[in-house]
Parts: sequence; structure tokens; C-alpha cells
Amino acid sequence: MWLSSAALAGSGIISAFSNVVFLKPRATYGLPSRFGIGAPDAYPSGTRMSLDVHRVCIVREGRRIAAISTTCTHLGCIVGLSDTGFACPCHGSRFDHDGNVTGGPAPRPLPWYKVSLAPNGELEVDTSLRVDPGTYLNV
Amino acid sequence: MSPRTTSPDLRSALAALPRNIWASIFRHPLPSTDLGRAQTSFTNFFLHIHPVKVHRNTLRPAYTLGLGLTSFFLFVILTVTGVLLMFYYVPSTGQAYDRMLDLRGSVAFGVFLRNMHRWSAHGMVALVFLHMCRVFLTGAYKPPREFNWVVGVMLFLLTLFSSFTGYLLPWDQLAFWAITVGTAIAGYAPLVGQQVRFLLLGDHTVGQEALLRFYVLHVAVLPLLVAGVLAIHFWRIRKDGGLSRPDEGADTLAPAPTPAAAVPTARTTYGLMGFVRGPFAARPGNGPDDSVYSWPSLFQAELFVFVLTIAGVLVMSLFFDAPLEEPVNVLHPPNPAKAPWYFLGLQELVSYSAFWGGVGIPTIEVLILLLVPYLDRSHRGVGRWFARERLAANTLFLIFAVINLMLIVIGTFFRGPNWAFVSPW
Repeated sequence: MWLSSAALAGSGIISAFSNVVFLKPRATYGLPSRFGIGAPDAYPSGTRMSLDVHRVCIVREGRRIAAISTTCTHLGCIVGLSDTGFACPCHGSRFDHDGNVTGGPAPRPLPWYKVSLAPNGELEVDTSLRVDPGTYLNV
Repeated sequence: MSPRTTSPDLRSALAALPRNIWASIFRHPLPSTDLGRAQTSFTNFFLHIHPVKVHRNTLRPAYTLGLGLTSFFLFVILTVTGVLLMFYYVPSTGQAYDRMLDLRGSVAFGVFLRNMHRWSAHGMVALVFLHMCRVFLTGAYKPPREFNWVVGVMLFLLTLFSSFTGYLLPWDQLAFWAITVGTAIAGYAPLVGQQVRFLLLGDHTVGQEALLRFYVLHVAVLPLLVAGVLAIHFWRIRKDGGLSRPDEGADTLAPAPTPAAAVPTARTTYGLMGFVRGPFAARPGNGPDDSVYSWPSLFQAELFVFVLTIAGVLVMSLFFDAPLEEPVNVLHPPNPAKAPWYFLGLQELVSYSAFWGGVGIPTIEVLILLLVPYLDRSHRGVGRWFARERLAANTLFLIFAVINLMLIVIGTFFRGPNWAFVSPW
């Protein structure tokens, strides 16, 4: 009686666990987290270009380049560029030019991603690596 | 000579064939006696879910308004139209939207079936909610029906989740951004939020994996769950003594008559009556005058509700087309991006705080709903609308319902681009 109850409970736990493991994909088919964005010359000083496919905004000021996420930290909509920085169309969150929250329900500032210069001279953004806001790459 | 008379020959068997087949399926002719009426309910697979006799109060249209039954019939319509739509639908980001257009262009009754499915889904959300209001305002969740209220709340949540998963399938702008927002809300749940979101989407963003997962949930997992929980819901109605009715509190307060207590010997054999909580005939007030045979009274009433339901869905589907927006553009969310109407109250809350609006307050609301029958233990005022004894409880519930409805109205009509406040006039 006790043995079979324990066996039943045990197999229940194992099957529940294996189902969760089964449902969690080991590989995803979405966009890669690291991607090239072309040569630095494509972004003249003063550029604020939103690459919507990759959900980042490339910012260049003088010789400094950075990538700011355009995924709203509130509920994941894509924020658009506005005169004062970024604005989210879904729930009205607003951010300044550096991605700091200036209004609306967003709980956190927009993260900055690591930008590096690949050996072939192209810029590379890695959205799996976050950097402190204000960290620029000098080119 | 004698064998020919005792065993019937082939010819007479053929002559009697239709009658014999009919009689083997339907064991009784249409009933003309009370015994026949009882047998008809009892021996028919589809009718035996019902009791042979029901209390008069069950049949009063002004008491139940047929809301629960209408919800069930909408579920049946949703199952039938949903299975038909499955013949033409492909859960692929490349094809889903084109298949929606095909329903318009090259499938006979395609648009009409989609309309029926969409309007029935909206109707089911609304009617399950109204059914819940009816049960509360008539105090029908009181003992012994506490657990069936809990089962009902689970059905309400399953209905909402079914609608939510179905919302993504057309793969249009509305679908994509509503699900992007909806699953981001799930991500705000403490500790497991991000993992739940990843399991739900199968990826970090809404894409092919999410479409496939929502499809499987929508066409297989959730309908089976709803059907199973619905079976428990119906079974409990009977085991809890049928629909609630006035002055029942007095009955349940009195000790239930137990046949076992009358003959307290070890050798007594107990009938099933001993296990059933308050057998129907043993209850005071269940005399012959207060109950009617299910055949034909109850079945007529149910048929009437069914005809009314299907007529409503058909009329809606004839005159209004289910919305279909532009195909998904993952780069440009519509402004404002709105969830389906029944989630706009939630979205309105979310615009103040994602955690409290999307997770905190809804969880508290569901917990309160689940605990209602265990917090309100008074036996008074069961089976009557707006009973004076339940003034406080009813007022609290109405405030609760009206606040939620107000949030939905604000989210639907008073929110414009960037979720800014706009006037609909």
C-alpha cells in the first residue's frame, strides 16, 4: 500500500518534470542575439537609427557609438523614436535620449547592448550582453 | 409443423426490421404515463444527465435566465465551428493569415463560420460572467454548493484562456500585439514569470513557436479541460441537490434524514440513498406538488434556450463580420495596441503598474472569487434575487463587478494613441 502510493507519487512527479523539460525548447528559431550592423561609416555623427528587425536603436555622437534596446521594458512593445527620446505606442511609456524613464508605466530604463568592432571592420551588436548606460564604443 | 410456428421465418423478420431496429434504439414509445416520462429520462444516454423530476423553481425563466445553459450551448457551437475551421487552418506564420483570406474568398460559408466562432467566443465570455453574477445575486453558492462555485470560477478562467489563445491564430496585427502584451504580463509574475513566458512562447518573442503552442492549447488542451471540468460542474449540480431554490436554507440546517440511523444494527444493508446528500424525495418541500417531470417540461425549456442561442449567434454572424486587421508587422505596433475587450480592463490596470495591474490585482480578485462561499457562511436568502438578507454581500459584489466593467469601458472607448485619455465623442 505505502510502496505503491510512493511509486505512484514518484512517477507523477517524474512525468510532470519530464513534461516541463520536454516543453522547454533547447533551440529556438528566432533572431540571433549577435548580429552585424555594417561599417561605422553608415552611421554619421548625430545618427539615431532604429533597427526595428533587431529591436535596437543605433546612436552615434561624434566618434562614439552605442546600441539602445527598443523593446519597451513595460510589456514588450517596440518603442518609437520621438523628439524627446523614445515613446511606446502600447501604454504610453516615455524615455529620454539615453533610455531613462520620463513617464508612463515602464518600470526600468531601456537597456544598452554591447557594441564591438568585428575583425572585418563591421560593427557587431550582442543583445545577450548588457552594458551600463553611457558606455560607448569609440571608432 | 410446430417448428414453423415457433421460430419466425426470414420474411416476417424482414417485415418487422424497421420496427425492431427502432425499438432496439429507443426502448420506449413517446411517454403518455408518468412511468413512461420517468423511463424516457432514465434510459436515454443524452437525457439521463438530467434527473427524472425537477423542482418547479428550476424551470422559472426569471430565476436562472438560462445563462449557464446558454454558456454551455455556446461551447457546443464553438466546438462544432472550431472543428470545421480546423479543416482549413494552418498554424504557420507564413500561411495563417492567407488562410483567413481564403475563408473569405474560396471557402463556402468560410466567413460565416468564422463569424459564428468569433461571436460565440465573445458571447461565452460575457454569458459565463453573467451566469456568475446570477449565481451570486441569488445566493446559489451557499452550502452544499460551495465547491461547484469554485469549479465555476475555474471554468470562467479556462474560458478566458481559451479566448486568449484563439486570439493569436489569425496572425493579424491585433492578434500579434495583443499576445505580445498578454505574455509580457505573464513575465511579471514573481520568480517563475519569465520561465512561464518562455514555456508559453517557446521562444523569447512571439513567433512561429508561439503560434504552434497557442494552436495546440486552443484546439486540444483547453477544450478537453473545459469539457472535463464542465462534466464535474454538471455532475455536482445533481449531487448538490439540483438548482438552488428559496427557503432551502431551512432544509439544509435541519439534520438530513439518514436511513442508516433508523436501524442501527451492524447487519443492515445500505441503499445508495444513504450516500446521496439529501435524497430528492426525502427533502421537505419536494412533495409531488413542487416537482414536475423533466420530460417534457425541462427538455422543452432547454430546447427553447438552445434555439434562442443559435438564433442569436446566426443573426450576429449574418450582420457583423469578425474583424481581421492587416497581416502581422513585427516592426510596427498599431497605436494604440489593444487586447480583446474582456482584457481591456486588465490592460487599463496594466497602464498604471505592470505587476499590480497584470498579476497582483487579478490574482487577488481570483482568490476572493474562489473564497466567496467559504467567507460568506450565512444560510439566509438562498434562491431569491437580491434577497434583503444579502444586501451587504450583493452590494459588495455589484461594486466589484461594476468597477471591473468600468475599467473595460475606459480601456475600450476612452483610450487613444499612446494610451492617452481621449473622449469618444
